[in-house]
Formats: sequence, C-alpha cells, structure tokens
Amino acid sequence: MTWKRICGLGDVAENTVRKFDVDGIPILLVNYGAGYRAIPPICPHMEEPLEESSVVVRCILTCTKHLWAWKLDTLEMQGETEKPLKTYELKQEDGSILVNVQQELVYEFDDEDEEDDFFK
Amino acid sequence: MKITVQSRTGETTLECADNEAILHAGLRQGISLPYECATGTCGTCRARVVSGDVEVRWKEAPGGTRLKPDKGDILMCQTRARSDCVLKVPSEVGTMDARPAPRNGVIRNIRKLTKDVARFDIDLSVPMSFEAGQFVVIDSADVVGARAYSMVNFDTEVRRIELVAKRKPGGKFTDWLFGAQQGDPEVAVFGPLGRAVFRSDEGKNILSIAGGSGIAGIMSILECAVRADYFREHKGSVFFGVRTMQDAFYLETLARYVDSSHGNLVVTIVLSDEIAMTPFHADYPSLRLASGLVHEVAGQAMASAAEDAIAFVAGPPVMVDAAIRGLIICGMPRQDIRYDKFG
Repeated sequence: MTWKRICGLGDVAENTVRKFDVDGIPILLVNYGAGYRAIPPICPHMEEPLEESSVVVRCILTCTKHLWAWKLDTLEMQGETEKPLKTYELKQEDGSILVNVQQELVYEFDDEDEEDDFFK
Repeated sequence: MKITVQSRTGETTLECADNEAILHAGLRQGISLPYECATGTCGTCRARVVSGDVEVRWKEAPGGTRLKPDKGDILMCQTRARSDCVLKVPSEVGTMDARPAPRNGVIRNIRKLTKDVARFDIDLSVPMSFEAGQFVVIDSADVVGARAYSMVNFDTEVRRIELVAKRKPGGKFTDWLFGAQQGDPEVAVFGPLGRAVFRSDEGKNILSIAGGSGIAGIMSILECAVRADYFREHKGSVFFGVRTMQDAFYLETLARYVDSSHGNLVVTIVLSDEIAMTPFHADYPSLRLASGLVHEVAGQAMASAAEDAIAFVAGPPVMVDAAIRGLIICGMPRQDIRYDKFG
C-alpha cells in the first residue's frame, strides 16, 4: 500500500477533472459530485488527453472525441464504448484525497488482445 | 489477395484487389471495419499486420502518429495488400447492409461560391444511392492522397453528386480544383460513407451546427427533410457559422427551405468576425443573423432546440468538439449526436 495525497477536498470542482502529478505518475482526478475517481489521464480508445476532451455530466464521463463514455459510480461502459476505464484506489482522509499508487496504470494499445483476451 | 481480420468479434475474411485500400475492400464486401474519415486523418481504422506484405501509401498520415510501424501498425485506409495478410483490428467487426463501392467520376461545373469555397459536381459512371449526410472519398491521379466530401444534394440512384470544397493554404487537391486544370478531370470515387445520416422516418426534431463547408452534409439532410415535408410535424434549427457575410453561401437554398417549412425551420447565419447589423438577412429575410462563435450561439438556444432532437454537427474539428461538448452538457444522449470528422 502506497497511499499518496493527491489534493485537498474541494480542490477539484464538481463535474470537472484535473490532472495531477503524483511522484511522476500523471493522474486525472474526476469529481462527479457523488464521489471521485482517479484514472490515467488519457482515453483508452485513441489516447486523447481527457483533461481537455472529457465532459462530466450526471455521473457520466464522456470523451467528446468519439463519445466513449463510462458511468463513474459503477464504471459501467456506456453505449458503443469498448474498453473499461482503469482506476486507482482512492480514499478521503482529514480533508485530503489520497490515491493508492503501486505503479502507473497504462492502457495496452499495442497488445490489447493479450490484455483483454479478445481472440480466445 | 485474401485478408484475414481478427477482431474482438472473431475472425472474418475479405478479398482485396491489387490497388485497393484494405478499408475499401472490407466495406465494399459489407464488412463493418472501423473508420470515420477514411482519408488518413482520424486514426480510427488502425490495425496491426500479423503476417503478409503490405504497402502504406501515405506514411505521414496525421491519423497514424500514434501507431507503432515497427510492430506492423497501419491505417487500413492508407494500406494496400501485396500478399495474403492477417490483420488484428482492435474493435468489433461485424457485417453491414450498406455496400459502398468504387466508381469512376468526372468533375464538372466548378464554381466559386466565396473567395475560398467552391462547389462542383461529379458525374458518376454508375448511379449511387446514399443517405442524407453521407460523404464520398475522391482520388485523383494528378494529386496524391484521397479527400472526403459530403454530398450536398439528396436523391436515390443519382448520376450526379454535388460537393463543396474549401480551399486551404497549401491544400494540393483544392489548389488543383481551384486552379487552371483544363477539361473535365477524371477522379475515382468511393462511397457512400459515414454514419451521421438523417432518415425522414426519424420522428425527432433536427438541430444542426455547421461551420463553413461543413454545411454541405446539412444541405443534403435539409433537402431530404423538405422533400418528405418533415417540417410539417417537426422542428428544425440550423446554425451556420462563417467568418463574415461574404463567406456565407447557399443562402438562397436555405431561405427556400425555411419558406417551405410551415414556420418550423429556423436557420441562423452566425458571423464570427463581423457584427450582424440586423436580426434578419437583408436579401433573404427568412434567414436570421447573429454574431459570435457558432457553437456558442447555438449553445444559447440548445436547451430548447435540443429537446427531443437529433443533432448533426459538421465543420472544423475545434468547432465540432466544442459543439459536442455543449450538447452533452445540455443533456443530449450520445446516440442522438451525429457527426463526421474529416476536417
């Protein structure tokens, strides 16, 4: 367990995202009102930078580039979205948001099949 | 050549001719390979060559900047097969009813509409049916690389399609088109393509946000709608963004659509670099005028215009992204937002 402080509660406004550097690992913090998610800062589809391309509305994060979207409380994929979001474990403590960072989460663009077992 | 495609949905095979892009080969055989622009800019048709020889036509395609060529990554729209191949495609690949096809065409009637926009026709060797909002890919032997253009007209089994091109600085195809090329140039035409389509049985209102030559596909949608008397039952809002009044075109046709819409179609010309002096166009009083960025002006009206509507968005990528963002924020479901990005 390596819990790291990412920011204070209230540092990221409701329905917005903000990118942080946590010991050299880029993490996007998403405040969807009812809670937070800490995710890699790129869309798993085409590597779009979610800091610029995402919209958070009614608990759903949508990448405006190709409209891939995820429900943030359940992480359910919406519509034509084909890949799940990866998330860092997160907790709130003494007015801070902490993330559990073991190693950087990355989407395997070049070996998706091995990761997702598509072709089995 | 035989191409074997391994995808999330399993394995499928297709035949690819000698000088045919793998994407075109699949689509023409009704295999729903992923694509958006079909001209090398979006990157949606990426695949990895597992085995076989291929030839990549446009190696610097902007849609390919995140590919790993050393691992065999390609864009299927830019790649020809030189032997039987096995490809991995990181998406779902099924079958589709639509069968886009290659045709020969002859460019006719090039006419400038503004200082940097021209309209032209292509007479097709074989008639084509398409859905309102679709586009074709044009390839000329004189200029390297294919371009995508939306049809302006709408009909079934057409022999002639009308297209709009914007001249971009350094754009070789439009330099050639706007330039002094003689006679009636021959081109290869592949299509129809694109999913941002309108059907007259949609049963919903229409909200369109277009910038510059992006209005082309919207014109086809409006033509289809007006012919079906769609605006008897449904409302339409069109926001057409241009820099100045001098950059606006198709105004006469747009005014005609408004006049035949039973008062249900509102078309607003939005000027980004000029103040609209009157709320209506002096020569075409059916058309409204506004000043500002088209997605922002549309955004102010979105809350009402987006209700029970399908949105069609077309234009420069920055405008398309901003308009989509606005539509999502105002609560429009993703499946009701339709766009093509080949700018």
